[in-house]
Amino acid sequence: MTQRISKNKRFWMMNPVWQFFKYLWLSLKGMLIVAGGHGSTRSKDYQKSH
Amino acid sequence: MATILILGAGISGHVAASHLRRKLSKEHQVVVVSPNSNYQWIPSNIWVGIGRMKSKEILFPLAPLYKKKGIDFKQAKAISFFPEGDKNETKPYVLAEYVAGENKGQQEKVIYDYLINATGPKLNFEATAGLIPGQNKTYSVCTYTHANHAWEGLNALIQEMKNGKKAKILIGTGHAKATCQGAAFEYILNVEQELRRHKVRDRAEITWISNEYQLGDFGMDGMLLSYGSNIMKSSEMVEMVFEDRDIKWILGAGVNKIEDGKTHYETLEGEQKTETYDFAMLIPSFSGHGFKAFDKNNNEITDKLFKGFMLVDADYTPKPYEEWTAQDWPETYQNPSYKNIFAPGIAFAPPHSISKPRKSKSGTEIFPSPPRTGMPSGITAKLVADTIIDTIKKGKNLQEHKGSMANMGAACIASAGYGTFSGSGISITTFPIVPDYKKYPDTHGRKLGKTFGEIGLAGHWLKLTLHYVFMYKAKMKPFWWLLPE
Ligand SMILES: Cc1cc2nc3c(=O)[nH]c(=O)nc-3n(C[C@H](O)[C@H](O)[C@H](O)COP(=O)(O)OP(=O)(O)OC[C@H]3O[C@@H](n4cnc5c(N)ncnc54)[C@H](O)[C@@H]3O)c2cc1C
Repeated sequence: MTQRISKNKRFWMMNPVWQFFKYLWLSLKGMLIVAGGHGSTRSKDYQKSH
Repeated sequence: MATILILGAGISGHVAASHLRRKLSKEHQVVVVSPNSNYQWIPSNIWVGIGRMKSKEILFPLAPLYKKKGIDFKQAKAISFFPEGDKNETKPYVLAEYVAGENKGQQEKVIYDYLINATGPKLNFEATAGLIPGQNKTYSVCTYTHANHAWEGLNALIQEMKNGKKAKILIGTGHAKATCQGAAFEYILNVEQELRRHKVRDRAEITWISNEYQLGDFGMDGMLLSYGSNIMKSSEMVEMVFEDRDIKWILGAGVNKIEDGKTHYETLEGEQKTETYDFAMLIPSFSGHGFKAFDKNNNEITDKLFKGFMLVDADYTPKPYEEWTAQDWPETYQNPSYKNIFAPGIAFAPPHSISKPRKSKSGTEIFPSPPRTGMPSGITAKLVADTIIDTIKKGKNLQEHKGSMANMGAACIASAGYGTFSGSGISITTFPIVPDYKKYPDTHGRKLGKTFGEIGLAGHWLKLTLHYVFMYKAKMKPFWWLLPE
């Protein structure tokens, strides 16, 4: 076994208080990405926008 | 009055049926044909497979719900398609065969004005010799029955390990072109955590076997993602997690045969190798259901409707990887020959894979097929339902509802262990699902701020929340439609 996640990092990954705020943030961010919508890729405007 | 026939009551079929029923007046008929009497929330099968959830928590019977909501349910399987009707029947229909109840074995022509094929994949275990769930020490978690068997097998092994047995566990893909690596990834991490909980982790050697060229490909050509203040490749993230949890890996493996406790596979170098195990969970290849289609004169027209899965508005012209574009991916999920037929979710034929295709030195294709996870399955089902609703209400095919997987985001929460305070999840969001290398040339085809990863307890809570939210929504409880797909 190779320890790839430091003790400090692991502490924050499993800290319920810190993770509660992460949970709220992740829920919100996930919702925004998904609710951010979807659409066509074939319109000229879409293809021009890069 | 219009009849909308939906084949399949999985994520996409059920989403389409519920939105159609809610938005269309009762003069229009919504009919669902599906062989399984239950709805199942497939993502939670991972937890059934480690004994932390009972299968009854992830399913409910469809017939009472559909009766209450005014959806006509036939517990039957579609067999063949007649999109022009036949000599005796002027309307299009699907020939279906009842699989349960007093009509079992009987066939019926189920007539429609609009057809949604949401039959998902056939779990094609037969494509790998000896890969039979519950036999040869191999299991699956693709359905709740399979997941129950997997837990029985794993639990038996854990008991033996408590008595001192050393065991080899193999989890991954069971075919050179299998997809759904994400589910196997979740399962391997959950199994690893359960072994620790049962205090037998030190007696197990756990190995990931996959047709991916690199870890973290997930059939999506990998990802470049933000991780905290770093930018990381998904391969690096998965490698970090696997090394940290002492999970070994075999990549570029095309599993082709299973014997009792032994898997045979071909590598990209063209070598034939074997790996032994005491417990394996290998995802089979997914294929179309082998449906046939006929015109009104009974001539076979299967190739107008199917290319394995159902043909939709994708660009199926064969071209090399370098020439693939985001625009190849479908947007309306409408069949080009029959405009009243749609295929959302896994049922549509993708234009090509998302991962780079690779062949072994002896010519075997070894790479993941494109995944279509729950979120895009739900989104594409809703947009197809909305197209049909608008067409019925406004009288013409408006095609205003479009959603390409190359212009759609997805949140994938991979469970990495179960437990209120000991659980963990790897939350990955991607935008877009199918990389657009022209639009995002420097960030591996995706928008970096919207493509990110997080590891920790919050991921477990999120995955559990999604379980309850989507079960609530699927049961069509009050205001269910306010919840996104
Ligand atoms: C173990 C596992 C874990 C997963 N975890 C996640 C996750 O965490 N997040 C995520 O987004 N996705 C996840 N997925 C993927 C997700 O489950 C699929 O994307 C989704 O189920 C696809 O929906 P679908 O409706 O297209 O197909 P399905 O859900 O497979 O539904 C197909 C339906 O068609 C029916 N059917 C089959 N044959 C016929 C026939 N001949 N006639 C009529 N009906 C028929 C079936 O009974 C079923 O009701 C997971 C998949 C697995 C296997």
